[in-house]
Amino acid sequence: MSLFRYASSIYGGSDMLIGANYGLLPWFALAGLGFAIAHAIFKAVAAPSKPR
Amino acid sequence: MTLGSTPADRIVRHKFVDRAYHWLMAVAMFILLATAFLPILGIKFEWVAIHWVTGLVLTAIVLIHIIRASFWQNFWSMMIDGGDLKDPFGKAGKYSLAQKLYHLAISVLILAAIGSGLLMWRKVDTPFWQRDPYWLSTENWGLVYALHGLAAMALVTMIIIHIYFALRPDEWHLTRSMLRGWITRKEYLDHHDPRRWQAKDEA
Repeated sequence: MSLFRYASSIYGGSDMLIGANYGLLPWFALAGLGFAIAHAIFKAVAAPSKPR
Repeated sequence: MTLGSTPADRIVRHKFVDRAYHWLMAVAMFILLATAFLPILGIKFEWVAIHWVTGLVLTAIVLIHIIRASFWQNFWSMMIDGGDLKDPFGKAGKYSLAQKLYHLAISVLILAAIGSGLLMWRKVDTPFWQRDPYWLSTENWGLVYALHGLAAMALVTMIIIHIYFALRPDEWHLTRSMLRGWITRKEYLDHHDPRRWQAKDEA
C-alpha cells in the first residue's frame, strides 16, 4: 500500500502526486497502540518500576 | 498528612500559563484531527471552516509557545545534552531523554502540519481573500497535501503514545503536574537530578 495518492494527468504522461494515502490511517493508529502495548508488556515483565 | 499537601512540599513543574498552553493545544489538536479524519471515515459535516479557524488558533498558540520558551523559559531544558547521552536512563533534568525526543518529533510534525496548512489555506474562501487553486502548480499542491496528510496521520500515532504515557501509574506525577502544576519533593528527588534541574518550591 502506497504512502501517497496519485491521479492521472489530463495531459497524459506519468501519474501526479495529489496527497497522502488516508487508507493508511488505521495503520498509523495501530502503530501507536502497538507501541503502547509493547511498552506496557516490557515494563510489566522485563523492567518493573523500582525506585532509582 | 499526604505528600504534597502543603505548598512547602510541592515543587513547581509547570506554571499556569504553560498548563493552559498544553490543554489549549490538546483541544485544538483533537478538533483538527476530528475535522480532518471523521469526514474521511464517513461522518460527513461542514468541517472546512472549523478546521482552518482551529488551525489558525493552533498556529497562534504554537508561536506564543516558541517565543515564551525562547525568552521566558529555560529553552535548553528541552534540548538533548551530554548528561542525557552519558546516562540515558538515569535521573533526568527537568525532562528525560525520552521526553526530549518526543518533543522534538512532535515539534517537527506540528510545524510541518502548520506550514503546509497555511499554504493550503490559500485554497479556501476566507473573509480575507477568495480561494486561488492556481497559486501553486498541481505538482507542488500534491507535495503540500502529502506533507499535511502524512504529518496528520503521524500525529495520531504520537498522540496515542502521549495519552498512554499520561495514563501510566508510574508517570502519574507528571500528569498531575500538567493538571495542578506541581510534583512532590519526594517525586522530584526520586526522578530528577537536582544538579540538572534547580527547581523552586511552591511556598
